[in-house]
Amino acid sequence: MNADLRLSSLLEHPDNGGVTLVTGRDAVWLDAVVGSTEGDLPADAADSLAVLTVAPPVTPWQIDALLRRVRDRGFTGLAIPGSASVGEGSLAVAERIGLTLLRVERPMALARACWQLLEGRDALTLSYVRKVARTIEYHADGLTDQLRYLSSSVGHAVALVDSEGVLQSAGEPLPPSVLGAIDFGRWSDIAVTTDGAAASVRVDSPSREGLRLVIHGRALGQTQLTALVTTAEVAMPAVAARILIDEVDAVSDVTRSSGLLGDFLESRGRPDVDIDRRMLDRGWRTTGYHLGFRMVGRTRGEPLELLRFVARELSGFPVSTHVTTRGRGVTGWLTFPKHPSAEELEQHVTRLRTLHTSAQASFPIATGIGSLGEGGAGLFATLSEAADAAKLAGNRVATGWFLHIDRLGLEQLLLAWAGNDTFVPAAQSLLAPLDPELLQTLAAYLDNESTLAATAAALGLHRNTVAGRITRIQELLGVDLDDPDVRLAVHLACRAVR
Amino acid sequence: MPRTLERDALPALARGFALLGSGGGGSPWILDLALRESPVWPVVLHDVADLDPATPCMALAYAGATMLLDERLPDEAPFAPAIAALERWLGHRVPAICSLEAGGMNGLACLPLARDRQWVDADLMGRALPDFDQLSLAVDGVPGLVAVGPTGAGGVAVIDGARADDVEAVLRAAITCAGGSAAVVVGGFTVGNLVEHGLPGTHARAQTLGERYLAEPDAGIASRADAIGARVLGAGRITEVLPDPLDLRVTAIEVRTAEGDTVRLVARSELLACMRNGVVEAASPTIVLAVDERTHDVLQVHELTAGRHIAVLSLPGPDWWYATAERHARVSPSHYGLSALEERR
Repeated sequence: MNADLRLSSLLEHPDNGGVTLVTGRDAVWLDAVVGSTEGDLPADAADSLAVLTVAPPVTPWQIDALLRRVRDRGFTGLAIPGSASVGEGSLAVAERIGLTLLRVERPMALARACWQLLEGRDALTLSYVRKVARTIEYHADGLTDQLRYLSSSVGHAVALVDSEGVLQSAGEPLPPSVLGAIDFGRWSDIAVTTDGAAASVRVDSPSREGLRLVIHGRALGQTQLTALVTTAEVAMPAVAARILIDEVDAVSDVTRSSGLLGDFLESRGRPDVDIDRRMLDRGWRTTGYHLGFRMVGRTRGEPLELLRFVARELSGFPVSTHVTTRGRGVTGWLTFPKHPSAEELEQHVTRLRTLHTSAQASFPIATGIGSLGEGGAGLFATLSEAADAAKLAGNRVATGWFLHIDRLGLEQLLLAWAGNDTFVPAAQSLLAPLDPELLQTLAAYLDNESTLAATAAALGLHRNTVAGRITRIQELLGVDLDDPDVRLAVHLACRAVR
Repeated sequence: MPRTLERDALPALARGFALLGSGGGGSPWILDLALRESPVWPVVLHDVADLDPATPCMALAYAGATMLLDERLPDEAPFAPAIAALERWLGHRVPAICSLEAGGMNGLACLPLARDRQWVDADLMGRALPDFDQLSLAVDGVPGLVAVGPTGAGGVAVIDGARADDVEAVLRAAITCAGGSAAVVVGGFTVGNLVEHGLPGTHARAQTLGERYLAEPDAGIASRADAIGARVLGAGRITEVLPDPLDLRVTAIEVRTAEGDTVRLVARSELLACMRNGVVEAASPTIVLAVDERTHDVLQVHELTAGRHIAVLSLPGPDWWYATAERHARVSPSHYGLSALEERR
């Protein structure tokens, strides 16, 4: 490793004293010399950079003369403080005599940067490490914030990458060629291409494998890269910890919201002071109009990933949206403060359909959408409908595993219920005691709103015959058909076995 | 031995004084025009050695903004009020005259008076220089000098026992009173003083330079420079003319050559120094000249404007100024408060 001072490295150095290139091309210097004026500089300094601490004279010929005398002493670079403009003529002189001219705001800082790059490599590393140490006490809001803070402290761009691409970044984007040059097999690595250079280190994270923390810049020199590898090594544990913390935070938040949704559904939408308060804390309003949806995995899968995806997509919706996990899928809803027009509603359903389609690419899911409901009860209803619809959608390849309850005949819903694998055997065993004649009578009775006269008319029987058969059926089944729940269950069972 | 100058000597003489003018001293053009038709010819020019050393002598010059003379033509006898005051003060007639600065129009200033007085081939600068404290007699501290300058509307200022710094301060003030330019006279010395404390032979030098410069009408800059023993310091286009931020009397003229070099001229009323790529190529008392690249006319400082194509030449300065450190200090750039322009010799 040759310890020479490259202009590009110097420009890239975070504490270079505000140095800017006035004229000249990329240069490499063997040494840097600091003096207050040109008179302090050594008479023979080949290929060196001169840093002057006193502002140069103001007249153009004095600047010309200064450039010339500095060059005559063997220097090929000159950094001058002050803001006096250097005229075209003087720039031409610098160009002509082969002198790279820099302007610097704080010459002593530039001198220190030169020293760090030339000789004080450990000092450079230490100064970086100190900056990383300062970021550890910073309370970051999340990984993005942490990386941004790290980048601004270290003074270089930072990225978190895997072999596929950049996951998170702060500062300048990481050039693809540099990403491609990074060796993912090594613990620490230095990659240099024509587009830039990067120091990277593997991130030891139990939840995500193959991550690397990258610190990069356009023109980092070898000295800087070596120092930055150490910097990345020191910064890595905090980044890994942050990834873990963010994940735990996300999971526990989902667990809480999922539990709350469960409680709400259990209360069947009836007002409950405790649940209402918890929902309000989350920003879940029951007032207004709601459109529920549910997405269920068609195979066994982790709903958390799906939730992340859906939540990210929903953030682009122009209405207030909420979503959390429930069982093997996610349940969510759109809330409208006023009754949306049919057209608006249609647009939102279309959006949800688009969301379903894009989710389909990564997750095999079925999506159901409820009908619009008002208030707490309406929210419960629409979520229930969505759940039913999702269940149905799981069998509907033809509709792309997508069902909107409004499009669904009640008959279909009923059939769907009846077609359920667990329900049919149960229905058969429930109705087993009845012979076909009694079963036909029961079905007709329930279909005709439990009225004897209508049933008799439908079956072509006498009213009393029907009454006698119903009494027998109740005895055989051991049920009370005056109970609405019982009536519904038996009605459904009739449909299932028909 | 006295020389007789005919009318046809005028163009060469005028061009020679323009060369010695170093961009100042006023354009000889107006006097050239006036003298072409003058009945003064032929005139006699005496060498210093030809005359009795005890002969009282006086030096004449147009001073101040010589540019004004292009606008306000000098009257018939511009020096009359100053000469009258000087002679009244001294109490005797001053029979010999010489030029105060042998550069620009001032080289010809004595010519209209050469019929009535003895014109001596000598001056007090050997070229054109900006200030009155650069008169050779005053620099050497010759005693008894009297400087006279009109103050306008018939008034005259007389400085007796004039020292270099007094002449500059008081005469400058008088010229300002007179409206910016005036015909001034310095007397109180003899022809003999000029041998050591003046610069004899400047007119002869001007004539030789002029003749050689004009010898080949179709010659290029390089061969003309060669003919007069001048060095070409660069040729190119004036890119910028800037006043000095510290001294508004100082102008910096930037020239970009075809090769991409930066040539800078630093001027007061005369061109004082030339720098090429940060190296001082010539500085006062070396004569720095700017000539039009096409017409080869010698240009005055105020004629150097952005966009003009010029060639920059240098002529060796009068040896007199190099003879002692004190003399040199009076004319080198640091005398004008200009740093980083000293000539390496």
